[in-house]
Amino acid sequence: MTEFRKKHFTRGNFSGFITPVIALCLWEIIARIEHTVYIPPVSQIFATFFHEWFSPTFHQQAVPSLYRMANGYVFATVVGITIGTLIGAYKPVYKLLDPVLQFLRATPPTAIIPVGILLIGIGDQMKIVVIAFGAMWPIVLNAADGARLVPFERLETARVFGLTKFETLWRVILPSASPMIAAGMRTGLSISLILIVVSEMIGSTDGLGYYILQAQRTFAIPEMYGGIVLLAILGYTLNMGFLQLEQRVLGWHYGATTRPV
Amino acid sequence: MKKKASPVNLTGFGFAVVLTIVMEICAREGWLTSYVPPPTSIFAAMWTGLLNGDISSQIWTTLSVYFRALTIGSALAITLGILMGTYRPVYNAFKVIIEFMRPIPSVAMIPLAILFFGLGATMRTVVITYAVFWPLLINTIYGVRAIDPQALDVARNFGITGAEALRRVTLPSAVASIATGFRISASIALIVTVTTELVAGNSGIGFFISQMEQANRLPPMYAAIILTGIMGFILNMIYFTLEHKIVFWTPAAREQTT
Repeated sequence: MTEFRKKHFTRGNFSGFITPVIALCLWEIIARIEHTVYIPPVSQIFATFFHEWFSPTFHQQAVPSLYRMANGYVFATVVGITIGTLIGAYKPVYKLLDPVLQFLRATPPTAIIPVGILLIGIGDQMKIVVIAFGAMWPIVLNAADGARLVPFERLETARVFGLTKFETLWRVILPSASPMIAAGMRTGLSISLILIVVSEMIGSTDGLGYYILQAQRTFAIPEMYGGIVLLAILGYTLNMGFLQLEQRVLGWHYGATTRPV
Repeated sequence: MKKKASPVNLTGFGFAVVLTIVMEICAREGWLTSYVPPPTSIFAAMWTGLLNGDISSQIWTTLSVYFRALTIGSALAITLGILMGTYRPVYNAFKVIIEFMRPIPSVAMIPLAILFFGLGATMRTVVITYAVFWPLLINTIYGVRAIDPQALDVARNFGITGAEALRRVTLPSAVASIATGFRISASIALIVTVTTELVAGNSGIGFFISQMEQANRLPPMYAAIILTGIMGFILNMIYFTLEHKIVFWTPAAREQTT
């Protein structure tokens, strides 16, 4: 039975593509028969997609989004890990800040976009700040939890070996917390993708979020679908890239602490 | 011996109060920009907004859309997840589609949803349902697939199959994973609810925030933002408590109680 079930779910990489192909063909046929504006044929969407995104449009709309996202996310990661690890390593500080942090995490990050617009305006800076602010809290909280829950033995060992406070932080606490930090960074990544799209929908003159919403408002329907497809590809690539990187950087950790699943 | 921790983190809440007072002084002294009103005026706006219904009616709209979408999305995700986890043809049929659809940020679906459903609550419900669907679906599939095959074999030996096996073996084993997925989905749902209202709403707390921003009425705007945070905090606490009440037999829950 075990053997059977294992085969059951690992085989059939090919058969998985049958349903999507059928679905796309059906879409194409229905769209061609019905001629509705809202559902253009798949072939048209893909033609528009290639036409739009292998042109200067990519540079005008997608590059600004990526630039803002990268800046905000890197800032969130650096600040988040630093603050989080320090908070987690010193219990009184953790206790002091915990309610404030919990509240900030529970606030939907998109709700601060209006504040960002008021304080900074609608330029690049606002988006970078909003992304950094929104993506930071999951990283801070996870880093703090990871640093707080370092096994007691490791800290004791560090003390026996006479490590200084900084060395303990750098060589014991940070590596111990790294899987939790990675999990927080993944949440932060998907939050920053949401935030870039939304902040560009609300206050922007370029970027992917602006492009999609504008396409919908001007009834450029194939362009709108093309933009969504590009965002899907972007989301997929970012997630896969992150997982690959995590495996590379933290492979030693998972190898040492958990059994292979 | 471990010292018994007090149930309420007094230091932390004390610090929050101190922080608020510092902000109050800074705002009153004019050390901040005029875009940051003193906390007392924010709380005053919150109080009147909640009492006269300006804010409370919007919260009510937000919550009703939120719970409707969460219910629909959960029902769909758990049903499909159990089917996909149990039957291989179903799993194979949908897995590639899921791999392609899941990474689309749910907010990118807002323009598409506006096209089909207009600007009302239906549009928002659809977008939120979409957002809720994925984490819960993935967790349900994992949960169902992680069932010890021997448990199902034993059940079969006792003549328990079909719906009976689903109810007595599959669901109890998978429920911990499903509950985790639900908690993730529920927190995403609140973000997406407020976001859709902000971008393309005609009611709800997110709509209220953007309206106040455009009218330059800052205290009610900040009051509404703080209330969304409080809403998220309370909802998280409710789900956390429920999870530990319902899924009391899993290792994680047991660790918490001992």
